[in-house]
Amino acid sequence: MRKSISTLFLFIAIAAKTIRLDNGVTMELVSMWRYFFGRKKENYMKIRKISAIALSVTMAISMIGCGGAAKSSSSGAGSGAADGESVKVGILYSATGSMAISEGAVKDAEVLAIDEINASGGVLGKKIEYVVEDGASEPSTFATKAEKLIDQDKVVTVFGCWTSASRKAVKPVFEEYGNLLWYPVQYEGMEDSSNIVYTGAAPNQQIVPAIDYLIELGYKKFFLLGSDYVFPRTANMIINAQCKAKGIEVVGEEYAQMDQTDFSSIISKIEAAAPDVIINTLNGTGNLSFFKQMSEKNYTADDYMTMSFSIAEEEVKTIGADILANHMVSWNYYMTTDTPENKAFVEAYKKAYGEERVTSDPAEAAYDAVYLWKAAVEKAGSFEVADVIAAVEEGGITFAAPEGTVEIAGENHHLIKPVRIGKVDADGNINTVMETDPVAPDPYLTTYEWAVEANIQPVE
Amino acid sequence: MAQFINTAFNALSLSSIILLTSLGLAITFGLMRVINMSHGEFLMIGAYMTYVVQEIFVKFFPESIFSLYYFVALIAAFGVTFILGAVMEKFVISRLYGREIDSLLATWGISIILQQAARTIFGMQGVNVQVPAVLNGGITIGKCTFSYNRLFILMLVVFCMVLVWYIMYRSNFGKQMRAVMQNRAMAQCMGINSRKVDMITFAFGSGLAGLAGCSVALLGSIDSTVGQSYIVNSFIAVVLGGVGRLAGTVFGSGIIGFSSIGIENYTSASIAKAVVLLIIIIVLQFRPQGLFTMKSRSLDE
Amino acid sequence: MKLKKQGYNLCFSAIVLVLAAMPLLLRAGVITSTSFILFLGKCIAFSIVAIGLDLIWGYTGILSLGHGLYFALGGYAMAMYLKLQATGGKITSFMQTGGMTELPAIWKPFLSAPVSLFLIIAVPGALAGVIGYFIFKNRVKGVYFSIISQALTWAAYSLFTGLQSYTGGNVGITEITSVLGSIKGAANMGKMSVLFYISLTILVIIYSLSYALINTKFGKLLIAIRDGENRTYFSGYCVSRYKNFIYILSAVFAAVAGALFVNFNGSITPAQMTISYSITMVIWVAVGGRGTLIGAVIGAFLINLCDYHFSSGEMVEIWQYILGAIFVVTILFFKGGLVGIVCDQIPSLWKKNPESGVVVNE
Repeated sequence: MRKSISTLFLFIAIAAKTIRLDNGVTMELVSMWRYFFGRKKENYMKIRKISAIALSVTMAISMIGCGGAAKSSSSGAGSGAADGESVKVGILYSATGSMAISEGAVKDAEVLAIDEINASGGVLGKKIEYVVEDGASEPSTFATKAEKLIDQDKVVTVFGCWTSASRKAVKPVFEEYGNLLWYPVQYEGMEDSSNIVYTGAAPNQQIVPAIDYLIELGYKKFFLLGSDYVFPRTANMIINAQCKAKGIEVVGEEYAQMDQTDFSSIISKIEAAAPDVIINTLNGTGNLSFFKQMSEKNYTADDYMTMSFSIAEEEVKTIGADILANHMVSWNYYMTTDTPENKAFVEAYKKAYGEERVTSDPAEAAYDAVYLWKAAVEKAGSFEVADVIAAVEEGGITFAAPEGTVEIAGENHHLIKPVRIGKVDADGNINTVMETDPVAPDPYLTTYEWAVEANIQPVE
Repeated sequence: MAQFINTAFNALSLSSIILLTSLGLAITFGLMRVINMSHGEFLMIGAYMTYVVQEIFVKFFPESIFSLYYFVALIAAFGVTFILGAVMEKFVISRLYGREIDSLLATWGISIILQQAARTIFGMQGVNVQVPAVLNGGITIGKCTFSYNRLFILMLVVFCMVLVWYIMYRSNFGKQMRAVMQNRAMAQCMGINSRKVDMITFAFGSGLAGLAGCSVALLGSIDSTVGQSYIVNSFIAVVLGGVGRLAGTVFGSGIIGFSSIGIENYTSASIAKAVVLLIIIIVLQFRPQGLFTMKSRSLDE
Repeated sequence: MKLKKQGYNLCFSAIVLVLAAMPLLLRAGVITSTSFILFLGKCIAFSIVAIGLDLIWGYTGILSLGHGLYFALGGYAMAMYLKLQATGGKITSFMQTGGMTELPAIWKPFLSAPVSLFLIIAVPGALAGVIGYFIFKNRVKGVYFSIISQALTWAAYSLFTGLQSYTGGNVGITEITSVLGSIKGAANMGKMSVLFYISLTILVIIYSLSYALINTKFGKLLIAIRDGENRTYFSGYCVSRYKNFIYILSAVFAAVAGALFVNFNGSITPAQMTISYSITMVIWVAVGGRGTLIGAVIGAFLINLCDYHFSSGEMVEIWQYILGAIFVVTILFFKGGLVGIVCDQIPSLWKKNPESGVVVNE
C-alpha cells in the first residue's frame, strides 16, 4: 500500500510538471533541443519526416505489443508446466470494477494457501509460482485473461472467478484449451464441466437444506428477493419448485438491479405481501442498501426473518451486526466453525492480512481449492492437466479443511461438504444453529423427486 | 391511504436523494458548463469521510458524544471535497472552460484515478458506517413509518437549496459568480477576479457532492464504486430540468424520483428503470433544452 | 497536405501488414501463443468501432456516449445465430429458467444465416435511424446529445438484464463458437487464421470506405457541420439528414465490430453496453487522435494492448493510475492525441520559430 501511495504522489508530481510544461518549460526544452541539434535541420523536408515518424511510431507500438507477447510466451514455455524449480498457477479475479469488493478476499485466501504450501516444501518438490490477472468485473475480460493465463503464461491450473457470468464466460475457454479452473463460490448449479472443480456449495448443499430447515421451523409464507441475474433467478426457480411440492406459499418474487441503491419500493411490496420469511439472494452492495433501509423502518428479525445466501462475515461487517442480528444465513463454513483446522486458518489469515479482516465461506472454499489441487497433483504424480483431471475424476481426494474434511466427488467435480445454517449474533459472529453430516453434491438435483417433477434440469 | 402515503413518501425521499446528488452538478454543469464525470467520486469521498470521522471518534473521543460524529462528518466531507474541488479546478478544469466534451473525458480519467485511490487507501472491501443513534429507526404514524434518516436527508436538501439560492441570488459572491458565467470578459473588465470566482464556484459544487456522499452513506454501501450508481441519474436530472436553472433541477429530480417509484410499483426494478429512461428521452425530444429553459437569443446555446 | 494524408495511409498499411504477418509468424513459431492472435482479432473489432466513433465525433462533432449499445446489438444478433447453431435450434437453458417451452418469436429469424447477417446490420441501423431522426430533427446537440445517448444505453442495459428469459440477463449469451467452429488452441490454428484475415479484410474495407467518404464533398460537409453547424444550415444544407446518415453509418460499423468481437470472444454480455464501456471507446479515439481515421485505429490498438499486458499481477493498481493519467493528460494537453503529437507537436520543434509553432495547450 505504501508503494502505491508513493506512486500516486509520483504521478501528482509528474502532473504538476506537465502542467507547467506548456508555459515556460516548453520553451526551455525547445531551446535546449536547438542547442544540441543545431539550426540546420529546420524545415528540412518536413513532410517526409512526418510520415516517417508516424510510421516508425506505429511500428514501435506494434513491436511493443508483439514483443510483449513473444517474451511472455517464451518465458512461459521455459518455466511452465513441470520443468524448472517451480510450477506456475493462475489467479483470476476482479481487482477493479464493481465486483472487486467481494473478490479480493478470495484472492487473499488463495495467496495464503499458496504461501503456506511453499513454506512447507511445495508440491511434488516444486514451489508454486502464481500469476495474477484482473478480470475487471467484466465477463469478456475474464475470458480474455483466462486465455492469456493458459496459453501465454502456461499455467497448469487457474483459481478464481466469482460471478456466474464470469464462470460461464471462461468455461468454454477451459474446456477448449483443456485446462482446469477451481471455482470457489456457491452457485446455482445446473452445471458440471469436467474442466472446472466447484469448491463452493451446489444448490443441494446450501439452498435446498435451508428451505427445508425453514419449513421445519414452521415458516409458511415465503418472499423471494434477489438481484436480477442468473444465480437468484435459478435459485428461486428451485425454491419455487420445492415450495410447491411441500405446500408452502410463495407470496412474492422481486428482483433488484445489481447497482440498485433505493429499496423503498421493494420494501413496500414486501409489506404488502406480509411474508413470514424473506429468502434473500441479493448480491454485493444491494444487501447493504436493503438491510439498512429495512432497519430504518424499525424492522428487525422479529418482524421479517430473512434467510440469506450471499451474506457472509464480510457483509456482516459492512452492514453492521446491530442491523443483521438474529437473521439467518446458509453456508458450509463460518469463521466460528469449531475445528482445529479453522483455528489455524483464521489465525493465519488474520496474521497475513490484518487483525480486522474476517474469513468467509468463499474465502475458505478458495483456500481449500489450492490444497485440493495439491492433493490431486500428488495423487496423479504429475502437473499435467489431463492427469490431474483423471485423478480428480477417480475420486477420493480429500482435504482436512477448516469446515471439516471435504472430498471431491469424482463424478460431478463438486465437493462433498457439510451444510451449516447460521444465525448472526449481536457481535457480528455467525453461529451455527444447524449442522449436517457431509452432503453429496447434486448440481442437477436429480435425487430430489420434486425437482425431477418440476423439470428444472437444463435442456442443453 | 396508508399505501398511498407510503409511496408518496418513498418517491419524495428518492427525489430528495437525487436532488442532493445533482445540486452540485447543477452548479458545475449548469453554471460553469463543465461536465464533471468525477462528481460521483466526490460523492464517494464524502461517504468515505463519514467513515474516517467515525473511526476518529471511536478512537479518540468518549462514547457519550459518539452520535455527534455524523454532524462533524458532514462538515468534514464538505470541507475535504471543497478543497479537492479547488485543487482540481486549479490544475485540470481551468484548462477546460469552453470545452464541454473534453471536460467530460478528462474528468472520466480523474474518476478512474480516484476510484483506484479509494481501493488503495481503504482496501477493496466496503466499509461500515453506523447510523447515529439520533437518526436510527423511524417514526410510525398510523400505518406509515417515516424513517429519521430520510427525513433528515429531506431537511438537508432543503437547507442546501436555501444555501445555494442565497449564495447565488442574494450574496455579493453570487452576483460575481453569475456575472462571470454570463459574460466573462465584461466581468473581468469590472474588476472581478474571474479565476478566483471559477475556483470557488467549482469547489462549492464539489463540496455539495461531498455532503450528498455523507448522506447516502446512511442508506447504502460505501465502496469505490458508490459514485457510479448515482452519477448518471444526477446528470439526467440536471439535463431534464434545464441546464442552468436551479428550479429545473428540483423538478428534474422530482420527475425521476416519482416516476421511478410509481412505475416500480407495477413492474420489476430493471424494467421500471428502462421505462423511466425512455420517458425522459421522449420528453427531451420535445424540450431539447430541458423543461426550464433560459430564454436566450443566442444562436448556439 | 496531400503527402501528410499519404503518411496516414502508409501508416495504416504498415499496421495492416504487421497484423497480416501475425498468423504467419505464429505458424513459423516466432510467436508461440495463439491466444494473442485471438486478442488481436478482438482489437481489430475495437478499431472498427473506433473508426465509426471517429466519423461522428472527430469529423462531425457529435459525441455519442452510447456506442456500446450498437456494438452489443450487433454482438447479440451474431451470438443469437451462433447459439442456435450450437443448440440446433432448441431453446436455451436461460429460456427454460424463464419458463419457456419453445423458441420465442424474436429468436426465430436467427435460425437462418442470411437473415441473421442482414439483422446484424439492420437492427442497429434502424434503431440509430429512428433515434437519430428525432434527435437531430429536434436539434439536440452537444452535451445534450451525449447525455441522451447515455440514458438510451442505460435503458437498453436495464432491459437486457431485466428480460432474462430472452437475452440471458447479466450472463448474456455464452458457450458459442465462431462461425467457423472452434478457434481456440493450436489445433484450430487454421480456422483462426481464416477468421483473423476475414476480420482484417473487413477493417481494410471499412477504413477505405471511411477514407473515401471523408474525402468527398460529403466529408467536407461533415467537417463544416462540426465547425459551424448553423452556418451550414444557412448555406442551405439539411444538416440533420447528414448527421443522421453518419450516425447510422457509425452505428452499423459498431454493429459489425460487435459481430466480429463475438466470434473471437465466444460470448456477449450486457457489460458491453454499459456506459463506462462506451466511454472507454471514446477514450480510444481521443488518445489515438480524433479527426484522423488512423488515430482511431492506433488508439484502439494501443489502449487495449496496454490494458492486456499491464492489468495483471502487481501492475493492476498502478496501471489504473497510469490509465487515468493518460486520459487526463491527453485531453488537457494533446488535443490531437498521439497522431497530433507525431504530426504537429514534434515537427513544430524543428521549426525555425518555435514560439509560433508549439501548440501544446489548446
